[in-house]
Amino acid sequence: MSELQPKLLLVDDDLAISENLGAFLERAGFTVLKAGDGRRALEIIQRQSPDVVVMDVLMPVMDGRQALRQLRAEENWIPVILLTQIGESTERAMALEEGADDYLNKPFDPHELVARIRAVLRRARRGQPPLAAAWKLVSGQIILDRRGKRVYFDEETLNLTPKAYALLEYLMTHPDEIVSRERLLDAVWGWEYPTGTRAVDTRIAELRAALGDDANQPTYIETLPGQGYSFRAEVTVLA
Amino acid sequence: MKLLKYWYVLIPFALGLTAGFILTYPSVSNPVYYLRADLGILLILLGLALSTVLALVILVRSQLEAIDQTAREEAARDRRRFLSLLDHELKNPLTAIMAGLANLTADHQSATLESVESQVQRLSRLVADLRKLSDLETRPIDMGMVNLPELLEDVYELSLSRAGADRSITLSMPQAPWPLPELPADRDLLFLALHNIVDNAIKFTQPGDTIEIRASEDGSQVRVEVADTGPGIPPEELDQVWTELFRGQGARGVPGSGLGLALVQAIIRRHNGTVSIRSQLDKGTLITVSLPVRGVTGS
Repeated sequence: MSELQPKLLLVDDDLAISENLGAFLERAGFTVLKAGDGRRALEIIQRQSPDVVVMDVLMPVMDGRQALRQLRAEENWIPVILLTQIGESTERAMALEEGADDYLNKPFDPHELVARIRAVLRRARRGQPPLAAAWKLVSGQIILDRRGKRVYFDEETLNLTPKAYALLEYLMTHPDEIVSRERLLDAVWGWEYPTGTRAVDTRIAELRAALGDDANQPTYIETLPGQGYSFRAEVTVLA
Repeated sequence: MKLLKYWYVLIPFALGLTAGFILTYPSVSNPVYYLRADLGILLILLGLALSTVLALVILVRSQLEAIDQTAREEAARDRRRFLSLLDHELKNPLTAIMAGLANLTADHQSATLESVESQVQRLSRLVADLRKLSDLETRPIDMGMVNLPELLEDVYELSLSRAGADRSITLSMPQAPWPLPELPADRDLLFLALHNIVDNAIKFTQPGDTIEIRASEDGSQVRVEVADTGPGIPPEELDQVWTELFRGQGARGVPGSGLGLALVQAIIRRHNGTVSIRSQLDKGTLITVSLPVRGVTGS
């Protein structure tokens, strides 16, 4: 990938979005290619091999979910960010399960999209599956079984609430990344709370207690004052 | 008329009427019968007849209520479906507008752009609230045992920081003989509901007004009251405050989407609780939330 001008493929059937968002992404330093549906996107990916794909879910001909599934079935691990439409939590879970590197709920702040793209590009390891596409992840004493939605710590099953599990899953699939509380709310809860960020802090505390992680000297989840949280331990794919 | 669908109850009467008329015809013999029985037997029969009539009346009434209830539920479902469609249709244009605005503001700043930006933010808040409402119908709720005193403290602290020093906000919870029990709930949702209620009170009161958050329990229910000395709500609007997008006369000039209380009601209902409102003009408003302590399954 060229360090200066990463090549980005923007896939959306709504012209108003691809034009305005395309212009913004170009301004942010990307070379932008565009496609109006999943099939066209797959063609462009084959011919022009972009560095990253930003793709809508609901599209004619072939939707984003199908296109992503086909890519991953062909063992193409190009970083993909899905733009999810429906506010249902199932669609968010689906995005991660199908192997999207990240996802954003529409409507979103375009600056947040740029931040997501940069983070995904930083994490991407050419030709290798992203953590988000793996079913089992390991970090230290933690094993995350994403198929069974279970977490093992020192080989014992941890009893986590569904929210705490989803939070750990998001953090572990996006390690070494500073994730703001707002982003976690949007990604895991799917809602913005006016009450904001206490909901996140409560669940983080629950996770830390379950993992025996000390907030002052964290092994896993680090608090970055004024910025958010970061999963600092190394995460690897368990074959 | 709903009663018309029960026309068939008149069939026996119609048959009797026809037979009676035929028998009064001169050429047909119309013998006279006398019915004799003990008064005791007659009273028993009379009692039986009255009970039958009473049972029928109750049956018909409950049927009518059920019909009414389904109609109301259907209307509510339709409204939610419409709102979720609306939310869906708003998302794409909003995404495009936000991207376009980001392009414009990168080039130059102006007061007009700033005001457009703040309006777009308002719109996206509305869309977010719409999404919450339709989400609430479908999403599984994350039930766990919730420490209510702690949660109320959180709501209270957040309200203090939002309201500033010019309103008096108090929180009172029982300590003796025991504190409030834990209750099964989705902590985040319950927080949102209680926060919305208190936030409303803050929005509609003036500096110098009083807001009281009071909690109590009676063994089977926990009750949280939020009372304020605000302007109150006119009686003719009281029924509608729970309706999505409804904004009363007093709400003009107060920021908000008109979805706050609809969300509160949806959340409390999903917890098998109830929420009610009392208000008097120029005196204030009282909102009461009751939640079952033993929860949704009811053991």
